[in-house]
Amino acid sequence: MSFFLDILSILLFPGFVFVIVLALIYEWIDRKFYAKLQNRMGPTYTGPAGFLQPFADLIKLLAKEDITPIAADRPFFSVTPVVALALMLTGVLIIPIAGSSGLLSFRGDVIVAVALMTLLAIVLFLSGLFSVNRFSIIGAERAVLQLLGYEIPLMLAVLGVALGAGSLTLAEIAGSTKAWYLFGPQVIGFAIYIVAAQAELERVPFDIPEAEQEIVAGWLTEYSGRKLALFRLTRDVELVYISGLAAALFLGGAGPIFEGIHPWMQMLLSTFFFVVKTVVILLILSTIRALFARLRIDQMVDFSWKYLVPISLLQMILVRLVI
Amino acid sequence: MAISTFDVPVGPQHPALKEPVNFTFTVDGEHVVGVRPRIGYNHRGIEKAAESRTYIQNIYLMERICGICSVAHTTTYVQNVEYVLGKEIPRRAEFYRVLINELNRIHSHLLWLGVAGHEIGFDTLFMYVWRDREHVMDILEMLTGNRVNYAINTIGGVRRDITPEMVGKVRKVMEVVEQRVTYYRKAAAAEPTLLTRVKGIGVLKTEDALKLCAVGPTARASGVKSDVRADDPYAAYDEVPFNLVSYDLCDVLSRVLVRVDETLESVKMVKHCLDHMPAGPVRVKLPRVVPAAESVSRIEAPRGEVIHYLRSNGTDKPERYKVRAPTLGNIPSVCEMLTSKGDYAVRIGDIPIALASIDPCFSCTDRAVLFIDPSRGKEWLWTFEHIRKYAGRV
Repeated sequence: MSFFLDILSILLFPGFVFVIVLALIYEWIDRKFYAKLQNRMGPTYTGPAGFLQPFADLIKLLAKEDITPIAADRPFFSVTPVVALALMLTGVLIIPIAGSSGLLSFRGDVIVAVALMTLLAIVLFLSGLFSVNRFSIIGAERAVLQLLGYEIPLMLAVLGVALGAGSLTLAEIAGSTKAWYLFGPQVIGFAIYIVAAQAELERVPFDIPEAEQEIVAGWLTEYSGRKLALFRLTRDVELVYISGLAAALFLGGAGPIFEGIHPWMQMLLSTFFFVVKTVVILLILSTIRALFARLRIDQMVDFSWKYLVPISLLQMILVRLVI
Repeated sequence: MAISTFDVPVGPQHPALKEPVNFTFTVDGEHVVGVRPRIGYNHRGIEKAAESRTYIQNIYLMERICGICSVAHTTTYVQNVEYVLGKEIPRRAEFYRVLINELNRIHSHLLWLGVAGHEIGFDTLFMYVWRDREHVMDILEMLTGNRVNYAINTIGGVRRDITPEMVGKVRKVMEVVEQRVTYYRKAAAAEPTLLTRVKGIGVLKTEDALKLCAVGPTARASGVKSDVRADDPYAAYDEVPFNLVSYDLCDVLSRVLVRVDETLESVKMVKHCLDHMPAGPVRVKLPRVVPAAESVSRIEAPRGEVIHYLRSNGTDKPERYKVRAPTLGNIPSVCEMLTSKGDYAVRIGDIPIALASIDPCFSCTDRAVLFIDPSRGKEWLWTFEHIRKYAGRV
């Protein structure tokens, strides 16, 4: 019985189906909010207030013609979208969504969480490389350069939190986070995490690897149909993953956890808190997206090594002193 | 170690371009080491078509050379015919032409500002500027009846008059535009990511701008004070005061500033026109048949100097008509901007904004009739028979 329950929780709630639906809803929130900031309407047509637009987009893309360029390395070209999505879906199993810990929780899962992001960036690089297209290759080069820029600050920001909690387990970090941390020692860490997350998600001002006006769609240029749909879904799941990780690291995960209430009740409450916290982070990310112009890749790497890295080192010292 | 360079084609279809043109960039990593332009994708045979239409019909043909500065081409054309006829048009019509031309300049510069924002990935600026541009479009629609191809100019004046309630509405919109553009000017100067993308990018030095015959805001942003409105006043520009805006930063930022300041100048000019428009008729009837003569007419379009040449033969149709749109004059300059030399390095990320900084309108530009194959040293003309043979329909 418990075995089936585990399978169900991985597949349905709070596993894949829940996360994918949530991811598509987040895409809608992101698009709608971004549009409002730009004095536009955003999606309006499919469903109430365009709510079903991301679902419709996904289904439509899945049905579209899927072209593999002759020059592309066929097996790798086909497998990278699946691997990318698999990586992100694995990632969300670690995130505490419906309780104090994720479906998977073990010592050092924080390191796995960060490693998954890096792995994803490498998979995206490979997908661009195997497309064998001029724009894809430039985009792939940029993706890796960008990774060199934001990875270290991101890791240092996460490490700062782990240091404060004295643990490398997400559940323990989430449990030991106190409300004042975000306004005290972790405020810089949180800011750095948000900036790095924007770079990981390839959104303005760091949408350099897929800069439309410069290199068409960067590493994504040659993808169409099902594969493009998978990549887009990966991006949405990544949005949930990254905001969920931020919630777990800085905002106390899916807490608060109440003593002595029914586990089902706790599950509902935790999910509710998780959604509220991640939506707040999502709105911050969307605001950043509306506020800036795209940087150039050299400016991005410059910015991150001149400012982000020193500040994140400073933040670690701060955490050590305060907590 | 061999340096690996490869060619990146930008166009004829590319997200950075709204019209078909091709620039082939040789890149080494992120650095651009060479650029080769190629135009001629949108040759529409307008000059040839002009020869088989009457002077009145040609007004509507000229309107369609450019969708954005449509009134600029008709103004040049009707002026050209009026020169040949040797007739003065009513002063009120001349003021009205200035009014429409300046409103056109405002909407064109706002359009450009939005596109420039889009090219550097700043879509919020794009959306906001285009929203404000709609006010100007509405005014133009109210005044002329059309949003894009106004069909307001005619040989001997303009086709509609302005009513007192229209004056009030135009004034109200000009207040809004002035306030918004002033705000954008302030906001742009304070936005760090925007500044890093435009400062020191797409440099065109003053001597290069002169040597390569840059025109319009591109030339003025390189410190060349050239503007047909001031140098060779036409219509009522001799009476409407304005400052010739010029900056000598020579980069994209300079071009942004020139266009934003020009928009504010145009707002002032529109207000001046409304205040000082003389009474009287807006058109006179002129003969349909034009005496044999040659004439050149030029005006300052939002993108720079438009030159039209007319040779008439005493009939009601021109014998030869030649159009030079401003973008053609700026293509050598944009190639110069995109060429790395010495310390000045062009990166792939700079291509879209540097290209956009001349406010290109490639479709208006294409006048190609002579084909040259430089590798074989061959030159040829496409005649109608050639084209039919090429299409395999002989």
